[in-house]
Amino acid sequence: MEKDTGKQNMLAVETLALTKTYKGKAAVSHLNMKVQEGAIYGFIGRNGAGKSTTLKMLCGLARPTEGEIRLFGKSANDPVTVRRVGCLIESAGLYPHMTARQNAVMKAKCMGLTDPKAVDRVLEATGMAGAGTKKVKLFSMGMKQRLGIALALLGNPDLLVLDEPINGLDPEGVREIRQLIQTLNEEGKTFIISSHILGELSKLSTHYGIIKNGILVEQLTREELAQNCADYFRVEVDDVRRALPLITESLPDVMAEVCDNRNIRLYGLTEGSALNRLLIENRVQVYSSGFHHMDLEDYFLARMDDTARQGSSNNKTIK
Amino acid sequence: MINLVRMDLYRLLKSKSVYICLAILLATSVLCFWIVWMFDTPEGNESAARIGMSAITEIGVPGTLLINYDTLHMFREIAMDGGAYISLFGIVIVLFFCSDYNSGFMKNIMSLHRRRWKYIASKLITAGILDFCYLALHFGICMLLNVLFHNLVPFAPAGDTLSYLCLTWTVTMGFAALLLLICTVTRSNGAGILATILLGSGILVLLVSYITSLFGINQWAYYTLYYNHSQAPYTYNAIGDFKGYAVGAGFLVLYAVISAVTLARKDI
Repeated sequence: MEKDTGKQNMLAVETLALTKTYKGKAAVSHLNMKVQEGAIYGFIGRNGAGKSTTLKMLCGLARPTEGEIRLFGKSANDPVTVRRVGCLIESAGLYPHMTARQNAVMKAKCMGLTDPKAVDRVLEATGMAGAGTKKVKLFSMGMKQRLGIALALLGNPDLLVLDEPINGLDPEGVREIRQLIQTLNEEGKTFIISSHILGELSKLSTHYGIIKNGILVEQLTREELAQNCADYFRVEVDDVRRALPLITESLPDVMAEVCDNRNIRLYGLTEGSALNRLLIENRVQVYSSGFHHMDLEDYFLARMDDTARQGSSNNKTIK
Repeated sequence: MINLVRMDLYRLLKSKSVYICLAILLATSVLCFWIVWMFDTPEGNESAARIGMSAITEIGVPGTLLINYDTLHMFREIAMDGGAYISLFGIVIVLFFCSDYNSGFMKNIMSLHRRRWKYIASKLITAGILDFCYLALHFGICMLLNVLFHNLVPFAPAGDTLSYLCLTWTVTMGFAALLLLICTVTRSNGAGILATILLGSGILVLLVSYITSLFGINQWAYYTLYYNHSQAPYTYNAIGDFKGYAVGAGFLVLYAVISAVTLARKDI
């Protein structure tokens, strides 16, 4: 997805030990996020994990308690750099009694844009040109989101921070926004997108950041995710303690991972019937077995479980 | 900051509440002039009798009501002394200030303008322009009505008029800064409008002043916005007449600074 290879080593966003506390409780803790220029960074986490707080801090809507934010290598408060960032945080902030066009004109005036066609361009790009004269209070949730994206696009920013951008959109709208994001990314724009619709996010993202309880538990590229989500063979047995030694002795090249007291995952196995036979011959009861492929959702849930088990707080950054 | 002011003026022009409150102010002026004309002039008496309001002609002798009145007195009686102007102006700016928070558009503004004092300054500049327009339009309409009603009262000297309007503008701007602070802290239309009514009409000041007077400590009331608004001198007499300017400007700066500090400390 990254067309401009020269951009790959440059960071659009870098946070250094970014922390936000509310009444002594950390909403975001020592977050070291790195987003390369030209990336589509999928920011994933459960409700209350700290996604929106992080994105708000990136957009200047919340003050960090500690730490630093650097945008395109400069301070996040640099007035020129700020104009390179477009935001849609949570719901689109729009005046309900004004039309779509008037809202866009307001934002354009706020930015000091002088090009009269700038507003028309973003309304057209987001499919809102036809609704330009309609008052926002008559809009559906999806139309408001589109207009929010249109406002974020004003001024042709290099970085777009979108918090739940496809919320409330119908399938057609989701596809249109996906195509818009892909087109803009191909033009060189960087995206940070937070969404709970992981299937949709996985169609777009080139990089991922997983946050849990305010801690960035992992950052990885699409390739690393694909590697981590490799096919596996899952076998459900009556007694893992008896099954596991049999598997490791007879299949030394296969990596076995015990999920719980009945399930084992095997990575690197190409054929499953021999294993089933081996277990049955050794009087291990096999309830079910089969090949699986993890998607982003499986991976995310697995990471959540892992960190719950480990109580892990290590931040892993992209190499 | 100029961009913010431009944006605010654009929104102000698109805002219905601005026109509704202006229409109420102007309608009140028309009504007052009309009633006074019917009551205080022979032609008005005849007109009242024709439309079945003969009772009005029996109240007093025409020409006795407006002795020693001029356009400035009329303007004050209609708009200022009852708190009508300050309340309506206050409601407009509360709705204007709070809509940034209520609509969420504040996120668009603050993501672009990270020095938050600029936001406060732009809001006060916009309120100042609105205040100026309201005062000028309202007073202008009162002058026009006076002409239309066959010079019901003599015109006030231009110097006195200008001085009074400047003082009123300064004091109402102090009031606007107070409302901006209340809106910044509460982000609530309801709280802002309640404050407008309580403070603009003077209910709160009079009540607290009465209570503190029981203990002989009500001198503070002379330095309130309400007092300096309601007791603004008609004409310049002494250096002490500048107290209203000092109070208005002082509160304007004080509340603006507190608003900016509050906004800088709060997340959007």
